[in-house]
Amino acid sequence: MSTLDTSGTHGPADPSAGPAPSGPNPVRHERPRRFRHWRRTRPFWGGLVMLLGGAEILLTVWAPLPVVLHVGLQGSLGYLVPIVIMCGALLVIFTPAQRMFLAVVTALLGLASWLTSNLGGFVLGMLLTLVGSAMAFAWKLRTAPVAGDPADLGYPDELQPEPEREPELGRWGERESEAG
Amino acid sequence: MSTQAFGEGRVSWRRLLAGLAVTGTAAATLIVLTAQGVLAASFSVSGLPFTVTADKLEGTGFEQFATLDEMAPDSPNAGDTGGQLVLIVSAVKTAELTNLCQSVDLGGTSLKITAGDAGTPVTATNLVVDSDLVSGNASFNEIEVGRDASTLNRVPGVKGNIGVFAQQARTVTITNLRQNNFATTAATFKLAHLHMSFEPDGC
Repeated sequence: MSTLDTSGTHGPADPSAGPAPSGPNPVRHERPRRFRHWRRTRPFWGGLVMLLGGAEILLTVWAPLPVVLHVGLQGSLGYLVPIVIMCGALLVIFTPAQRMFLAVVTALLGLASWLTSNLGGFVLGMLLTLVGSAMAFAWKLRTAPVAGDPADLGYPDELQPEPEREPELGRWGERESEAG
Repeated sequence: MSTQAFGEGRVSWRRLLAGLAVTGTAAATLIVLTAQGVLAASFSVSGLPFTVTADKLEGTGFEQFATLDEMAPDSPNAGDTGGQLVLIVSAVKTAELTNLCQSVDLGGTSLKITAGDAGTPVTATNLVVDSDLVSGNASFNEIEVGRDASTLNRVPGVKGNIGVFAQQARTVTITNLRQNNFATTAATFKLAHLHMSFEPDGC
Protein backbone atom coordinates (compact mmCIF):
# COMPACT_ATOMS: atom_id res chain seq x y z
CA MET A 1 0.00 0.00 0.00
CA SER A 2 2.72 2.44 0.92
CA THR A 3 4.36 2.10 -2.50
CA LEU A 4 1.07 2.91 -4.15
CA ASP A 5 0.71 5.98 -1.97
CA THR A 6 4.15 7.29 -2.89
CA SER A 7 3.44 6.76 -6.58
CA GLY A 8 0.24 8.71 -6.02
CA THR A 9 2.15 11.64 -4.58
CA HIS A 10 4.52 11.50 -7.51
CA GLY A 11 1.60 11.22 -9.90
CA PRO A 12 0.77 14.95 -10.33
CA ALA A 13 4.42 15.84 -10.82
CA ASP A 14 5.04 13.15 -13.42
CA PRO A 15 1.76 11.97 -14.95
CA SER A 16 3.41 9.82 -17.63
CA ALA A 17 4.91 7.49 -14.97
CA GLY A 18 1.51 6.75 -13.39
CA PRO A 19 -0.20 4.39 -15.82
CA ALA A 20 2.82 2.25 -16.69
CA PRO A 21 2.94 -0.04 -13.57
CA SER A 22 -0.85 -0.46 -13.46
CA GLY A 23 -0.98 -1.96 -16.97
CA PRO A 24 -0.90 -5.73 -17.50
CA ASN A 25 2.58 -7.15 -17.02
CA PRO A 26 2.92 -10.59 -18.62
CA VAL A 27 6.52 -11.07 -17.45
CA ARG A 28 5.51 -10.78 -13.82
CA HIS A 29 2.92 -13.56 -14.14
CA GLU A 30 5.25 -15.67 -16.25
CA ARG A 31 8.07 -15.82 -13.71
CA PRO A 32 6.51 -17.95 -10.90
CA ARG A 33 5.15 -20.35 -13.51
CA ARG A 34 8.58 -20.83 -15.06
CA PHE A 35 10.17 -21.28 -11.64
CA ARG A 36 7.55 -23.88 -10.78
CA HIS A 37 8.30 -25.73 -13.97
CA TRP A 38 12.04 -25.56 -13.26
CA ARG A 39 11.41 -26.95 -9.76
CA ARG A 40 9.27 -29.78 -11.06
CA THR A 41 11.85 -30.93 -13.58
CA ARG A 42 14.39 -31.83 -10.88
CA PRO A 43 14.47 -33.20 -7.29
CA PHE A 44 14.39 -29.64 -5.96
CA TRP A 45 13.03 -30.20 -2.45
CA GLY A 46 15.24 -33.21 -1.80
CA GLY A 47 18.29 -31.19 -2.81
CA LEU A 48 17.21 -28.27 -0.67
CA VAL A 49 16.70 -30.45 2.43
CA MET A 50 20.14 -32.00 1.83
CA LEU A 51 21.70 -28.55 1.47
CA LEU A 52 20.17 -27.47 4.80
CA GLY A 53 21.49 -30.62 6.48
CA GLY A 54 25.02 -30.04 5.19
CA ALA A 55 24.91 -26.40 6.25
CA GLU A 56 23.73 -27.32 9.75
CA ILE A 57 26.57 -29.83 10.19
CA LEU A 58 29.09 -27.28 8.92
CA LEU A 59 27.79 -24.70 11.41
CA THR A 60 28.35 -27.02 14.37
CA VAL A 61 31.97 -27.79 13.41
CA TRP A 62 32.85 -24.27 12.30
CA ALA A 63 35.82 -22.89 14.21
CA PRO A 64 37.86 -19.74 13.78
CA LEU A 65 40.94 -20.45 11.68
CA PRO A 66 43.51 -19.85 14.47
CA VAL A 67 41.83 -22.47 16.64
CA VAL A 68 41.96 -24.97 13.77
CA LEU A 69 45.59 -24.19 13.02
CA HIS A 70 46.97 -24.60 16.51
CA VAL A 71 46.17 -28.31 16.52
CA GLY A 72 46.92 -28.84 12.85
CA LEU A 73 44.28 -29.87 10.40
CA GLN A 74 43.53 -33.19 12.07
CA GLY A 75 39.88 -32.32 12.23
CA SER A 76 39.66 -31.46 8.54
CA LEU A 77 37.52 -34.52 7.84
CA GLY A 78 34.87 -32.92 10.02
CA TYR A 79 34.72 -30.01 7.56
CA LEU A 80 35.17 -32.04 4.40
CA VAL A 81 32.11 -34.24 4.93
CA PRO A 82 29.50 -31.44 5.24
CA ILE A 83 31.11 -29.46 2.40
CA VAL A 84 30.86 -32.45 0.05
CA ILE A 85 27.26 -33.00 1.20
CA MET A 86 26.44 -29.41 0.20
CA CYS A 87 28.16 -29.84 -3.19
CA GLY A 88 26.16 -33.04 -3.76
CA ALA A 89 22.95 -31.21 -2.88
CA LEU A 90 23.66 -28.45 -5.41
CA LEU A 91 24.57 -31.00 -8.08
CA VAL A 92 21.32 -32.91 -7.48
CA ILE A 93 19.46 -29.69 -8.25
CA PHE A 94 21.54 -28.59 -11.23
CA THR A 95 22.32 -31.97 -12.83
CA PRO A 96 19.19 -33.99 -12.03
CA ALA A 97 20.15 -36.80 -14.41
CA GLN A 98 22.83 -37.94 -11.92
CA ARG A 99 20.50 -37.89 -8.92
CA MET A 100 20.80 -41.62 -8.14
CA PHE A 101 24.58 -41.62 -7.75
CA LEU A 102 24.57 -38.30 -5.91
CA ALA A 103 21.81 -39.46 -3.56
CA VAL A 104 23.72 -42.61 -2.64
CA VAL A 105 26.96 -40.66 -2.05
CA THR A 106 25.30 -38.01 0.10
CA ALA A 107 23.43 -40.65 2.09
CA LEU A 108 26.73 -42.41 2.88
CA LEU A 109 28.36 -39.08 3.79
CA GLY A 110 25.37 -38.25 5.97
CA LEU A 111 26.00 -41.47 7.86
CA ALA A 112 29.73 -40.74 8.03
CA SER A 113 29.02 -37.32 9.53
CA TRP A 114 27.87 -39.08 12.71
CA LEU A 115 31.45 -40.17 13.29
CA THR A 116 33.35 -37.22 11.84
CA SER A 117 31.34 -34.08 12.52
CA ASN A 118 29.93 -33.67 16.02
CA LEU A 119 27.57 -36.65 15.89
CA GLY A 120 26.15 -35.48 12.57
CA GLY A 121 25.65 -31.89 13.68
CA PHE A 122 24.05 -33.21 16.89
CA VAL A 123 21.74 -35.55 14.94
CA LEU A 124 19.70 -32.84 13.20
CA GLY A 125 21.97 -32.31 10.20
CA MET A 126 22.40 -36.03 9.70
CA LEU A 127 18.62 -36.59 9.67
CA LEU A 128 18.06 -33.76 7.18
CA THR A 129 20.78 -35.13 4.89
CA LEU A 130 19.37 -38.66 5.02
CA VAL A 131 15.80 -37.51 4.36
CA GLY A 132 16.93 -35.21 1.54
CA SER A 133 18.98 -37.89 -0.15
CA ALA A 134 16.11 -40.37 0.14
CA MET A 135 13.83 -37.78 -1.51
CA ALA A 136 16.32 -37.31 -4.36
CA PHE A 137 16.66 -41.08 -4.66
CA ALA A 138 12.87 -41.50 -4.81
CA TRP A 139 12.34 -38.81 -7.43
CA LYS A 140 10.80 -40.22 -10.62
CA LEU A 141 9.97 -38.77 -13.99
CA ARG A 142 6.22 -38.57 -14.33
CA THR A 143 5.69 -36.97 -17.73
CA ALA A 144 7.55 -37.60 -20.94
CA PRO A 145 10.38 -35.16 -21.61
CA VAL A 146 9.20 -31.89 -23.13
CA ALA A 147 5.52 -32.71 -23.06
CA GLY A 148 3.42 -29.95 -24.57
CA ASP A 149 5.11 -26.76 -25.66
CA PRO A 150 8.84 -27.30 -26.18
CA ALA A 151 9.47 -23.56 -25.92
CA ASP A 152 8.72 -23.87 -22.18
CA LEU A 153 12.16 -25.22 -21.43
CA GLY A 154 13.92 -22.77 -23.68
CA TYR A 155 16.01 -25.32 -25.53
CA PRO A 156 17.42 -24.47 -28.95
CA ASP A 157 15.55 -26.30 -31.70
CA GLU A 158 18.43 -28.58 -32.62
CA LEU A 159 18.44 -29.99 -29.07
CA GLN A 160 14.78 -31.00 -29.15
CA PRO A 161 14.32 -34.75 -29.18
CA GLU A 162 12.96 -35.96 -32.51
CA PRO A 163 9.35 -37.14 -32.50
CA GLU A 164 9.05 -40.89 -32.22
CA ARG A 165 8.61 -42.73 -35.49
CA GLU A 166 7.03 -46.03 -36.27
CA PRO A 167 9.77 -48.60 -36.74
CA GLU A 168 10.26 -49.08 -40.47
CA LEU A 169 10.15 -52.81 -40.76
CA GLY A 170 10.64 -52.82 -44.49
CA ARG A 171 14.13 -51.44 -44.31
CA TRP A 172 15.22 -54.06 -41.79
CA GLY A 173 13.73 -56.72 -44.00
CA GLU A 174 15.79 -55.48 -46.95
CA ARG A 175 19.01 -55.50 -44.90
CA GLU A 176 18.41 -59.02 -43.71
CA SER A 177 17.86 -60.18 -47.27
CA GLU A 178 21.03 -58.37 -48.37
CA ALA A 179 23.04 -60.03 -45.61
CA GLY A 180 21.61 -63.43 -46.51
CA MET B 1 23.99 -28.67 -17.39
CA SER B 2 20.26 -28.46 -17.01
CA THR B 3 19.63 -28.49 -20.71
CA GLN B 4 18.91 -32.20 -20.81
CA ALA B 5 15.39 -32.79 -22.00
CA PHE B 6 13.87 -33.53 -18.61
CA GLY B 7 10.19 -33.93 -17.99
CA GLU B 8 8.41 -33.14 -14.78
CA GLY B 9 8.70 -35.60 -11.96
CA ARG B 10 7.76 -36.19 -8.39
CA VAL B 11 8.84 -38.17 -5.37
CA SER B 12 7.64 -41.75 -5.41
CA TRP B 13 6.45 -42.49 -1.89
CA ARG B 14 7.23 -46.18 -2.12
CA ARG B 15 10.84 -45.51 -3.10
CA LEU B 16 11.15 -42.81 -0.45
CA LEU B 17 10.08 -45.26 2.24
CA ALA B 18 12.52 -47.87 0.92
CA GLY B 19 15.38 -45.34 0.91
CA LEU B 20 14.53 -44.11 4.39
CA ALA B 21 14.32 -47.68 5.69
CA VAL B 22 17.83 -48.45 4.43
CA THR B 23 19.50 -45.24 5.65
CA GLY B 24 17.50 -45.28 8.89
CA THR B 25 18.64 -48.80 9.67
CA ALA B 26 22.26 -47.86 8.95
CA ALA B 27 21.99 -44.73 11.12
CA ALA B 28 20.45 -46.70 13.99
CA THR B 29 23.26 -49.26 13.73
CA LEU B 30 25.88 -46.50 13.90
CA ILE B 31 24.22 -44.92 16.91
CA VAL B 32 23.97 -48.23 18.75
CA LEU B 33 27.62 -49.11 18.00
CA THR B 34 28.72 -45.68 19.23
CA ALA B 35 26.66 -46.02 22.39
CA GLN B 36 28.32 -49.39 23.04
CA GLY B 37 31.73 -47.76 22.77
CA VAL B 38 32.71 -49.74 19.67
CA LEU B 39 32.94 -46.82 17.26
CA ALA B 40 34.70 -43.57 18.05
CA ALA B 41 33.02 -40.27 17.25
CA SER B 42 34.93 -37.06 16.59
CA PHE B 43 34.11 -33.73 18.18
CA SER B 44 35.08 -30.21 17.34
CA VAL B 45 32.96 -27.56 19.01
CA SER B 46 33.68 -23.87 18.84
CA GLY B 47 32.11 -20.49 19.35
CA LEU B 48 29.52 -21.68 21.86
CA PRO B 49 30.82 -22.01 25.39
CA PHE B 50 30.18 -25.48 26.71
CA THR B 51 30.77 -27.32 29.94
CA VAL B 52 32.48 -30.64 30.46
CA THR B 53 32.37 -32.44 33.78
CA ALA B 54 33.65 -35.84 34.76
CA ASP B 55 34.01 -37.69 38.05
CA LYS B 56 37.47 -38.82 37.11
CA LEU B 57 39.93 -38.26 34.29
CA GLU B 58 42.96 -40.49 33.91
CA GLY B 59 45.29 -39.50 31.13
CA THR B 60 48.71 -40.18 29.74
CA GLY B 61 50.57 -37.36 28.05
CA PHE B 62 49.41 -34.03 29.45
CA GLU B 63 50.21 -30.44 28.47
CA GLN B 64 48.86 -27.15 29.66
CA PHE B 65 49.67 -23.61 28.56
CA ALA B 66 48.02 -20.23 28.15
CA THR B 67 46.90 -18.70 24.92
CA LEU B 68 45.30 -15.44 23.86
CA ASP B 69 42.19 -15.73 21.72
CA GLU B 70 41.14 -12.73 19.68
CA MET B 71 37.43 -12.19 19.24
CA ALA B 72 36.03 -10.88 15.99
CA PRO B 73 36.16 -7.07 15.78
CA ASP B 74 33.17 -5.46 17.57
CA SER B 75 32.00 -8.83 18.88
CA PRO B 76 28.99 -8.35 21.19
CA ASN B 77 30.61 -10.78 23.65
CA ALA B 78 33.71 -8.63 24.07
CA GLY B 79 32.35 -6.67 27.06
CA ASP B 80 35.20 -5.00 28.99
CA THR B 81 37.80 -7.55 27.87
CA GLY B 82 38.98 -5.47 24.91
CA GLY B 83 38.13 -8.34 22.62
CA GLN B 84 40.85 -10.59 23.98
CA LEU B 85 40.40 -13.73 26.00
CA VAL B 86 43.08 -15.52 27.97
CA LEU B 87 42.39 -19.21 27.71
CA ILE B 88 44.05 -22.27 29.13
CA VAL B 89 44.84 -24.89 26.54
CA SER B 90 44.85 -28.39 27.96
CA ALA B 91 45.88 -31.31 25.83
CA VAL B 92 45.72 -34.98 26.73
CA LYS B 93 47.02 -37.68 24.40
CA THR B 94 44.82 -40.49 25.67
CA ALA B 95 42.27 -40.10 28.43
CA GLU B 96 39.72 -42.23 30.22
CA LEU B 97 36.78 -40.38 31.68
CA THR B 98 34.15 -41.79 33.99
CA ASN B 99 30.71 -40.18 34.21
CA LEU B 100 31.38 -37.71 31.42
CA CYS B 101 28.83 -34.96 30.95
CA GLN B 102 28.99 -32.35 28.21
CA SER B 103 26.45 -29.58 27.80
CA VAL B 104 26.08 -26.74 25.34
CA ASP B 105 23.92 -23.80 26.43
CA LEU B 106 21.57 -22.96 23.56
CA GLY B 107 19.82 -20.15 25.41
CA GLY B 108 17.04 -21.50 27.60
CA THR B 109 17.70 -25.16 26.94
CA SER B 110 20.89 -27.14 27.03
CA LEU B 111 21.94 -29.99 24.81
CA LYS B 112 23.30 -32.50 27.28
CA ILE B 113 25.40 -35.53 26.40
CA THR B 114 26.28 -38.04 29.08
CA ALA B 115 28.36 -41.17 28.68
CA GLY B 116 30.67 -43.52 30.54
CA ASP B 117 28.35 -43.91 33.48
CA ALA B 118 27.76 -47.66 33.29
CA GLY B 119 31.09 -49.21 34.18
CA THR B 120 32.86 -48.62 30.86
CA PRO B 121 34.69 -45.29 30.80
CA VAL B 122 34.73 -42.91 27.85
CA THR B 123 38.06 -42.96 26.06
CA ALA B 124 39.32 -39.91 24.23
CA THR B 125 42.42 -39.40 22.10
CA ASN B 126 44.13 -36.12 21.21
CA LEU B 127 41.77 -34.16 23.39
CA VAL B 128 42.63 -30.46 23.02
CA VAL B 129 40.42 -27.96 24.79
CA ASP B 130 40.56 -24.19 25.20
CA SER B 131 38.99 -23.32 28.54
CA ASP B 132 38.65 -20.27 30.75
CA LEU B 133 37.97 -22.36 33.84
CA VAL B 134 39.41 -25.70 34.90
CA SER B 135 38.80 -27.04 38.36
CA GLY B 136 39.34 -30.37 40.05
CA ASN B 137 41.76 -32.25 42.23
CA ALA B 138 44.74 -33.11 40.11
CA SER B 139 47.77 -35.29 40.66
CA PHE B 140 50.60 -35.63 38.19
CA ASN B 141 53.48 -37.98 37.52
CA GLU B 142 56.81 -36.66 36.26
CA ILE B 143 55.54 -33.12 36.04
CA GLU B 144 57.71 -30.40 34.52
CA VAL B 145 56.49 -26.95 35.51
CA GLY B 146 57.75 -23.77 33.90
CA ARG B 147 58.84 -25.27 30.65
CA ASP B 148 58.63 -23.07 27.57
CA ALA B 149 55.37 -23.71 25.74
CA SER B 150 57.14 -24.07 22.40
CA THR B 151 59.17 -27.06 23.58
CA LEU B 152 56.35 -29.28 24.84
CA ASN B 153 56.51 -32.87 23.62
CA ARG B 154 54.04 -34.97 25.62
CA VAL B 155 51.22 -34.63 23.10
CA PRO B 156 52.44 -34.95 19.50
CA GLY B 157 51.71 -31.90 17.37
CA VAL B 158 50.42 -29.62 20.13
CA LYS B 159 52.69 -26.71 21.06
CA GLY B 160 52.25 -23.19 22.34
CA ASN B 161 53.98 -19.95 21.47
CA ILE B 162 57.60 -19.31 22.37
CA GLY B 163 58.13 -17.62 25.71
CA VAL B 164 54.81 -18.74 27.24
CA PHE B 165 54.72 -20.49 30.61
CA ALA B 166 53.67 -24.11 30.35
CA GLN B 167 53.66 -27.40 32.19
CA GLN B 168 53.54 -30.97 31.10
CA ALA B 169 53.35 -34.36 32.73
CA ARG B 170 53.58 -38.01 31.78
CA THR B 171 50.35 -39.02 33.47
CA VAL B 172 47.56 -37.07 35.06
CA THR B 173 44.62 -37.97 37.28
CA ILE B 174 41.92 -35.39 37.93
CA THR B 175 38.90 -36.07 40.10
CA ASN B 176 35.74 -33.93 40.07
CA LEU B 177 36.87 -32.31 36.84
CA ARG B 178 34.96 -29.28 35.66
CA GLN B 179 35.88 -27.29 32.57
CA ASN B 180 34.25 -24.31 30.94
CA ASN B 181 35.41 -24.66 27.35
CA PHE B 182 35.34 -22.46 24.30
CA ALA B 183 36.70 -24.91 21.80
CA THR B 184 37.41 -28.59 21.51
CA THR B 185 39.38 -29.60 18.48
CA ALA B 186 40.10 -32.92 16.90
CA ALA B 187 39.05 -35.02 19.84
CA THR B 188 37.95 -38.56 19.21
CA PHE B 189 35.63 -40.00 21.81
CA LYS B 190 34.44 -43.54 22.35
CA LEU B 191 31.19 -42.76 24.05
CA ALA B 192 30.10 -45.86 25.92
CA HIS B 193 26.52 -45.70 27.17
CA LEU B 194 25.78 -42.53 25.21
CA HIS B 195 22.74 -40.52 26.19
CA MET B 196 21.77 -37.29 24.48
CA SER B 197 18.91 -35.02 25.50
CA PHE B 198 17.66 -31.46 25.70
CA GLU B 199 17.31 -30.32 29.27
CA PRO B 200 16.72 -27.02 31.06
CA ASP B 201 19.94 -27.35 33.09
CA GLY B 202 23.43 -28.12 31.96
CA CYS B 203 25.99 -30.26 33.74
